[in-house]
Amino acid sequence: MTPGPSLLKATKVGCRMIEIYHLYKQYSRDVVALRDINLVIDRGEFAFIVGSSGAGKSTLLKLFLQEIKPSRGSIKIFGRDLSRLKSREVPYLRRNIGMVFQDFRLLEDRNVYENVSFSMRVTGVPIREIRKRVPLTLELVGLKDKAFKKPDELSGGEKQRICLARAIINRPAMVIADEPTGNLDPVTAMEILNLLHEINIRGTTVIVATHAQELVDRMKKRVIVLDQGRIISDQERGVYINAR
Amino acid sequence: MHVRSLLYFFGEALKSVIHHGWMSIASIAVVSITLLILGSFIVINYNVSLLTEDIKEQVQIVVYIDEEANVRTLRELQRALTDHPELEEVRFVSKEEAMERLKRQMGDRAFLLEGYEEEDKNPLRDSYELRTTVPEDIIRVAHTVQDYPGVGYVDYGSGVVEPLFQFTGVIRWIGLLFMAGLAITAVFLISHTIRLTVYIRRKEIMIMKYVGATDWFIRWPFIFEGLILGLMGAVVPLVIIFYSYQGATQWMSGNIYFISLLPVEEIMPQLLNLLLSLGVVLGVLGSAISVRKFLKV
Repeated sequence: MTPGPSLLKATKVGCRMIEIYHLYKQYSRDVVALRDINLVIDRGEFAFIVGSSGAGKSTLLKLFLQEIKPSRGSIKIFGRDLSRLKSREVPYLRRNIGMVFQDFRLLEDRNVYENVSFSMRVTGVPIREIRKRVPLTLELVGLKDKAFKKPDELSGGEKQRICLARAIINRPAMVIADEPTGNLDPVTAMEILNLLHEINIRGTTVIVATHAQELVDRMKKRVIVLDQGRIISDQERGVYINAR
Repeated sequence: MHVRSLLYFFGEALKSVIHHGWMSIASIAVVSITLLILGSFIVINYNVSLLTEDIKEQVQIVVYIDEEANVRTLRELQRALTDHPELEEVRFVSKEEAMERLKRQMGDRAFLLEGYEEEDKNPLRDSYELRTTVPEDIIRVAHTVQDYPGVGYVDYGSGVVEPLFQFTGVIRWIGLLFMAGLAITAVFLISHTIRLTVYIRRKEIMIMKYVGATDWFIRWPFIFEGLILGLMGAVVPLVIIFYSYQGATQWMSGNIYFISLLPVEEIMPQLLNLLLSLGVVLGVLGSAISVRKFLKV
């Protein structure tokens, strides 16, 4: 099973990872999660999406993954208009996006190696390729010696490294991390962010949704601030701006 | 589907069956128990209908010939009976033969019949014994035959035959109803049990969805798992029924010899096909339905 040809081509040609114009997302009459969002993220960027809880971060990430559909406006990922994406193409879109979650979402009954190779196996990558790539990726995230440990034998930071390895093993064009440091102490959190930075330097676009102000300020990256569903600030080498 | 994928799916399914040992055992047990009840009932039903067929086969019409009838009328009657499309068997019983039978039936007391044996003293009548192709037609056929020329009177055991047929009809309907009810219960139980195994693995399914596995890629291992569980669940009752039925037939032939059960070799092939395919269908359907709910991420 190879990635959808159309998506692959779009990834190679376009330099825009994400293009969003006049996007609205309304869950019900009274709940408007996003209002008039305009946002362009280019290939190779590292961007933070920040804001207090309920600001619309999660909704935005769900839209990227095509988990939900916008109420109005357009959203393009890898140059592909998501409103024209057929539901059977969604898996191929997701193969180009590595996801990292706050709660790790690891399979507790499988060891590190199996957790990381899982995303290759279920996308039909040959075993030979898996054997070659998993050790390299584990080395990159610093888990080379813990390949055969189960997640519950590891610390929070190590768990998040597994999650990172799983996200990048299929060499996606983009990694999206949803509160990746939410469950970690500040030192470990910084390590994870540095790792994400390293992944970014190797050419992968990285988007991190967070409300960890101090960490965002230290990274000196692009910061997009959401408040009550609107983008209130979008600055290169920016800092976390508190809306209230 | 590639052979590689096929092996992967099957491997995953097998791993999952072993890994979720208790859950698998529970699923197999549910399939086994429902199929065991269903299978036993089918076996019983087979034998009951065999028994009732047996009884029904013995039902016959006896046409006593009018003693006054001349030879021509009798020939006409003979032709009318043999040409009757609904009659399977037409047998002439002369009054001498009837007398012989009566003597045999009376056994020790046959001496009472002495003196009635001579040609002109025999009080019995010549008769025809008729068997219909479909036993239930007997009453209607008896009434038509009544009006044939040369017929004295017709006896088909009226008053006995009607309730017998009613009874066998009710038995058959109860059997069918019972089996249908059991089959529905089985589907319900099995799909719920398998839903539980899928529910345990919802996190795995969610992760698969996030890393970009296609829906069919997620579905196949579950379908294979359902297949394995269904097959295993069908084999258990088959083995149990085989041995207990074999035992039952042996015991019956030794103790209750007048009721003959269908031989085990005759029942098993049908039961094997039925239970195995039911197990597979139930397992696969149960899995496929259950997994659908979790694919919407």
